[in-house]
Amino acid sequence: MIELTVNGRKHSLDVEDDTPLLWVLRDELHLTGTKFGCGISLCGACTVHLDGKPVRTCTLPVSAVQGKAVTTIEGLSKDRSHPVQQAWIAEEVPQCGYCQSGMIMAVAALLQDNPAPSDADIDSAVTNICRCGTYNRIRRAVHRAAGKGQA
Amino acid sequence: MKQNSRRRTLNLNRRAFIKSAAVLGSGLVLGFRLPMALAAKSQDVRNPHGFIRIAPDETIQLLLPSVEMGQGSNTSLPMIIMEELGGDWSRIKVEPAPVADIYKNPWIHVQMTVGSFSVRGWYDELRKVGAAAREMLVQAAAGEWDVSPDECTVNHGVITHNPSGRSTSFGKVAGRAADLPVPQDPPLKSAADFQLIGKPVARTDTPLKVDGSARYGIDTIVPDMLYAAVRACPTFGGTLKSHDDSAARAMPGFRATVPLHNGVAVVATSWWRAKKALEKVKTEFDRGKVAGLDNDKVSTSLRSGFDADGFAVARNDGDAKAALASAERVVEAVYEVPYLAHTCMEPMNCTADVRADHCEVWVSTQAPGPSKEAAARAAGLPSDKVTLHSEFLGGGFGRRGEVDFVEQAVAVSKAVGRPVKLLWSREEDVQHDFYRPAAAIRFRGGIDKDGRVTALDARVVTASAPGFHRPGPPAYTEGIYNTAYTIPNYYVTGLNRDLGIPFGFWRAVNYSHNPYMMEGFIDELAHTLQQDPYHFRRSLLQGDKGRRHLGALDLAAHKAGWDKPLPAGHYRGIAATQAYGSWIANVVEISVKDNAITLHRVVCAIDCGVAVNPDTINAQLEGGMVYGLTAALRGIIHIDNGAVVESNFNDYPVLMLNEMPDVETYVVPSGEHPGGVGEPGTAPIAPALANAVFAATGKRIRTLPLNSHGFSYGAGRKQA
Repeated sequence: MIELTVNGRKHSLDVEDDTPLLWVLRDELHLTGTKFGCGISLCGACTVHLDGKPVRTCTLPVSAVQGKAVTTIEGLSKDRSHPVQQAWIAEEVPQCGYCQSGMIMAVAALLQDNPAPSDADIDSAVTNICRCGTYNRIRRAVHRAAGKGQA
Repeated sequence: MKQNSRRRTLNLNRRAFIKSAAVLGSGLVLGFRLPMALAAKSQDVRNPHGFIRIAPDETIQLLLPSVEMGQGSNTSLPMIIMEELGGDWSRIKVEPAPVADIYKNPWIHVQMTVGSFSVRGWYDELRKVGAAAREMLVQAAAGEWDVSPDECTVNHGVITHNPSGRSTSFGKVAGRAADLPVPQDPPLKSAADFQLIGKPVARTDTPLKVDGSARYGIDTIVPDMLYAAVRACPTFGGTLKSHDDSAARAMPGFRATVPLHNGVAVVATSWWRAKKALEKVKTEFDRGKVAGLDNDKVSTSLRSGFDADGFAVARNDGDAKAALASAERVVEAVYEVPYLAHTCMEPMNCTADVRADHCEVWVSTQAPGPSKEAAARAAGLPSDKVTLHSEFLGGGFGRRGEVDFVEQAVAVSKAVGRPVKLLWSREEDVQHDFYRPAAAIRFRGGIDKDGRVTALDARVVTASAPGFHRPGPPAYTEGIYNTAYTIPNYYVTGLNRDLGIPFGFWRAVNYSHNPYMMEGFIDELAHTLQQDPYHFRRSLLQGDKGRRHLGALDLAAHKAGWDKPLPAGHYRGIAATQAYGSWIANVVEISVKDNAITLHRVVCAIDCGVAVNPDTINAQLEGGMVYGLTAALRGIIHIDNGAVVESNFNDYPVLMLNEMPDVETYVVPSGEHPGGVGEPGTAPIAPALANAVFAATGKRIRTLPLNSHGFSYGAGRKQA
């Protein structure tokens, strides 16, 4: 049995130790906001927070998460009120939207560490892939979120 | 273009409006159906089909005939309906339409979201739907008050009788309206009165896409569901010879192995378990007839096509052969592009539940109509026994116009007798795509002694097949045969060579490569004549035929400051084309140092006719550009021994945030019928960039991607 806390709720799960956290979230807990994109930790669609830090979950064995606190996009806020979500809405960032859960989680973690990131900071922190080409709106939304309630 | 859109525009007089009043939980609603074909069923009030349903609680439910894959049709199509309806925008609820004939796109007669056809195909019809509904609602209110409808006005779902000041709302009169005859030719607003069209409207899907609640096909959860992972024969056209799953059977959660004609699927209690068990299955394949194919052979095959017989003639003005023979100078160049994969962020997947007498399918698809038919075939059921649920698409780009993954999911569910969510790995996605076909063109241009371009002879060879394309001039010559350039002797021919690699629609399709080649060659002609590339193009754009091309070209050049000096070491490239009923131009500004390209600025201008949602247009132009830029810089699928070499984002890298250039987009004010915007943005970036590289380095890039010529890339954003 694996014990982990997801969005404040404790779970005991009967899964193989090597199961990536992504598939535990999606297939066992039915938290489908976290997405599968590449399976090799490259695209970042599967990003969640582990004890507040951004992690890519498609290659992270659930055994490594034992006893830790996981926050997914569903747990970021109850009502889309997180400054990053608000900035995403204000800038109309998403197109297909599939990568955006991971983007938002990556950016929320960035702003926690660095409330006023420069473009260079954003470049190095946001290494998720978007095929729709929303990158410039993402950059604008990060700056917008940084300007709100983070100072 | 104008003629084209006229021909395809539906005449409402010939297509009766059919209405139905239905009781759907919340009360009476108002629905509309358009085509004559369904007239026989119009008495069936339970039929939930239609575009608009207005409930007593003022909810306006809109059933949308296009699927949402990021292009914004879940907002732009409602804008078109609501503009004429006059309802309260805040009360709309959008949902994908089920599969039915009335949702077939009026321009292409199939229920697919492809070809940048959503707004341009539905614009006239959805306006009429909205206008007819408004007229009926007003009549219902006027009838209740016993006044003339002409004395009533509509504003945000409120109907007011102006002389008396009485008012009511859509929801209150919807039931009564449903009993009225449907107006056959409702008057439409004049563009000057538009309140929604032309204004940036917030997307209806944005909130769902910031909290993880937007449901994509991959998110489908059905009670009692199992999961399937797939391995197809690496070689295209190969078939499964044998398989041994004895080791897989011992894996946790294993439920079944299902052999497919070209591969094998493993079914388990989670996708990870299915994937792990699949790794233990041994497979042997008949590798098929393309097992010896590689990129060199693809290239040789395309280029040998230049002198082969059997060309189709797409355009033949004047006598290009004679004009070339008598030309003072002949410029010849061969261009070529490789196969490309789509890599939608959401890997291919489908959930199917096949029962003895019914089949239910949940899928992210651009092709709800064809997917339903494919599911029926795979299930061995008539198509009226199939229910298809369209979900949000995690990228489409043309890949999701195919039905291969639907067929697989249905076959696997049928085999195991349980609902199954079948999901591909990214590796399967890259290696079993329907690729943008490789293509090559040989150009010959003739210049007379006065320095005028007198002849163009372009021979197009693509690795596709005739069935890929609609009738008329071969579509694979689009962007070549139908330019607006005035060249008196203009000869365009084309040839398909089906090399056995699956090919399909890839964002901008033929316009993803032909404008690159055409605009590169036009640049070569300008260079030969020692003329400025922008002003040379202008000289070829004459009369009304060149008007919209010129408008987009001039706007891009003006905004980019084409005639103004550049910083030292900076160079510009320009390109323009028509695509999907729009005209689009790019100007890029670059510098090159030690073969490293820095892209300082991209300026994009489009004439897309009436600009329905400007914010979406901006996003689509930027996004389309990124898709084309990735391909131009580093997009290549290698074939080796008949299989794809690339497998994931590590060896098929795409543009990242830190590589994103500054992009400016501009829209030419226009009252023309809307053109497409989802795909045109992809077309001009490769030629604009390659032409800039020529300006900077003197190297003419006649094959893509740029990194195969030793160029690396970095964005040139001004650092804050």
